[in-house]
Amino acid sequence: MASLTLDGLTKSYGDVAVVKSVSLDVRDGEFLVLLGPSGCGKTTTLRMIAGFVPPSGGSIRIGDQDITGLPPWKRNAGLVFQSYALFPHMTVAQNVAFGLEMRKTARSEVAPRVAEALRLVRLDGFGERYPRQLSGGQQQRVALARALVIRPDVLLLDEPLSNLDAKLRLQVRLEIRALQQQTGLTTVMVTHDQEEALTMADRLVVMSDGAVRQLGTQSDLYERPADLFVADFVGRSTMIAGTVTAPGAFRSDGGLVLTCPASAVKGPATIALRPERLTLGPAAHGLDNHVPGAVSFVSYLGAMLDVHVRLNATDHVVVQVPNRSDGLAPAVGDAIEVGWPASACLVFPREAI
Amino acid sequence: MAHVSQRPVGEPGNLTAAGLLVPATIFVAIGLLVPIAILFRYSLNAFVPGKLMVDALTIANYVKFFTDPFYLQVLWRTVRVAVACTIFCLIFGFPLAYVLARTQSRHKNLLVMAIVLPLFVGNAVRAAGWMVAFGSKGFVNASLMGMGLISVPIEIMYTEMAVVIGIIAVNMPFMVLTLQSVIEGIDRNVEEAAFSLGAPPMTMAIRVLFPLALPGILAGVILTFILAMNAYATPVLLGGPKFQTMGPLVFSTFAQQNNWPFGGAVSFILMTVTLILTVASSLLIRRRYA
Ligand SMILES: Nc1ncnc2c1ncn2[C@@H]1O[C@H](COP(=O)(O)OP(=O)(O)OP(=O)(O)O)[C@@H](O)[C@H]1O
Ligand SMILES: [Mg+2]
Repeated sequence: MASLTLDGLTKSYGDVAVVKSVSLDVRDGEFLVLLGPSGCGKTTTLRMIAGFVPPSGGSIRIGDQDITGLPPWKRNAGLVFQSYALFPHMTVAQNVAFGLEMRKTARSEVAPRVAEALRLVRLDGFGERYPRQLSGGQQQRVALARALVIRPDVLLLDEPLSNLDAKLRLQVRLEIRALQQQTGLTTVMVTHDQEEALTMADRLVVMSDGAVRQLGTQSDLYERPADLFVADFVGRSTMIAGTVTAPGAFRSDGGLVLTCPASAVKGPATIALRPERLTLGPAAHGLDNHVPGAVSFVSYLGAMLDVHVRLNATDHVVVQVPNRSDGLAPAVGDAIEVGWPASACLVFPREAI
Repeated sequence: MAHVSQRPVGEPGNLTAAGLLVPATIFVAIGLLVPIAILFRYSLNAFVPGKLMVDALTIANYVKFFTDPFYLQVLWRTVRVAVACTIFCLIFGFPLAYVLARTQSRHKNLLVMAIVLPLFVGNAVRAAGWMVAFGSKGFVNASLMGMGLISVPIEIMYTEMAVVIGIIAVNMPFMVLTLQSVIEGIDRNVEEAAFSLGAPPMTMAIRVLFPLALPGILAGVILTFILAMNAYATPVLLGGPKFQTMGPLVFSTFAQQNNWPFGGAVSFILMTVTLILTVASSLLIRRRYA
């Protein structure tokens, strides 16, 4: 177990840079999630750490050993693939024992460690089966046991849950997190599912277009997004485009005059609003911003309702309200007032996205 | 109104399946089994010079083959050459097939074409090409002498080596294409999993790649071995008149000596030996890797 450091890691294919100078510090025992839209370079970054993609620049360190030039079989990294990649011609026990054999572990020690790893993923008794005789979730757990048994310095997971159905995904998600905490393994997981990322990570890295946009905890990303991209990608936001005309004063392209935090920089800007920070109805009246509008759409989410409110020809907001059965659910076409405090406005310079 | 079947789409009834199989079965029976049966019957006939074939039921032809050192020598040489060719095809073909299967190059189709291209030229024409290359003033000797490696041309033509090289060149595409299609079906991530668990490339190949490629290795070995055992043009042209193998022997017995019973026996022996060795090698490879 050790920390993992990426320093200016870069990968180009021809003229195209797909990973652009990524620097990260994954602490010992930390669960770090790489989050980003499809094609932003998450897998490429992870494969550089595993040693399958030679970086075009930068370095990778585990603890204080530079592993940038080491081939994959000399890095002590446990890798779990999206497709599981179990050896189809070996039993579950042989799969798990493979890494130990490669490490020339004493034969007497192999069997107990394989058994222990299988117990850890709750598959004791499955040792004699072949991968094809297991369900997807069970295969995923074998893959995990196979990576854990070698006691890797870092555990690398590339979308480990994307081949599982929704229900199983929730369960395996918790299992992986529990296992990681139990073993204290430094872990890097790649996903483009933000809910998965938010529930599992100690810290998250948001990537886009090959570069790190922000590194932080869940609340850092959600409440203090570094830029419009992060505000849009993590959680949901509605955007209002306009201009900061004076400290704390914002004028939308649609003509709304709003109060925003005084720290906002003057010039063209976009305000991002989290749906749950907005208030509907009479209660809106006492807030910094309150605007009359008309309900254009209501989407039913079970415990919550998303109420889309049109404020004028160009601006609209989404408001999330609890679904109470007090008969006050807004209906499409209702005239309604929307309000929010200045602090709910996340203001970003316009060209950021 | 036509009758509408109640069967779900895509689930052919037994009758249809049988119906579809009938032509193929008849073709195999007439095209393959009947000639073999006739051949076997011929091989039990007697040969009387001048009268050609005489109806009989004798094993004299088989006794003649297995008691004459000349014929045994021909059989042994054929097996030796075929085994050598098959082993070399496998050793050289596997890396080539692997690269072909795993390459991300845009020119992959060109590479496959380059492998297949030699098949567009008939065996005889190709062997003629080799004759030019192997001759005492040919390309090989000329280059070796040009580089100063040898001073007197070496004898390549009419040696076993010439025949082995010639047959390898003929059979290689079959081996490579068979292996390539199987390797392409192996998940690249499985190889990477082995690497990440600490297996260096050779260990990965032995423990993961070869066992998973086994069906392709078997198919490739069987295919090239059968082709090598039955080679005709290459041994005749590159081995010369004294380098007798089973294929040419069958032909000369039938066509030149007009000895149909003995020709039948030689054919039958060739077929049986090929079959036995094929089955034996399959079992051996299977036991080694599965
Ligand atoms: N071998 C390659 N040659 C050229 N370009 C590549 C290669 N591998 C990946 N890329 C490009 O690099 C970019 C990043 O790919 P990567 O697989 O890292 O994305 P990702 O973030 O994992 O996406 P996803 O969420 O869809 O898995 C993509 O635009 C991809 O087309
Ligand atoms: Mg990916």
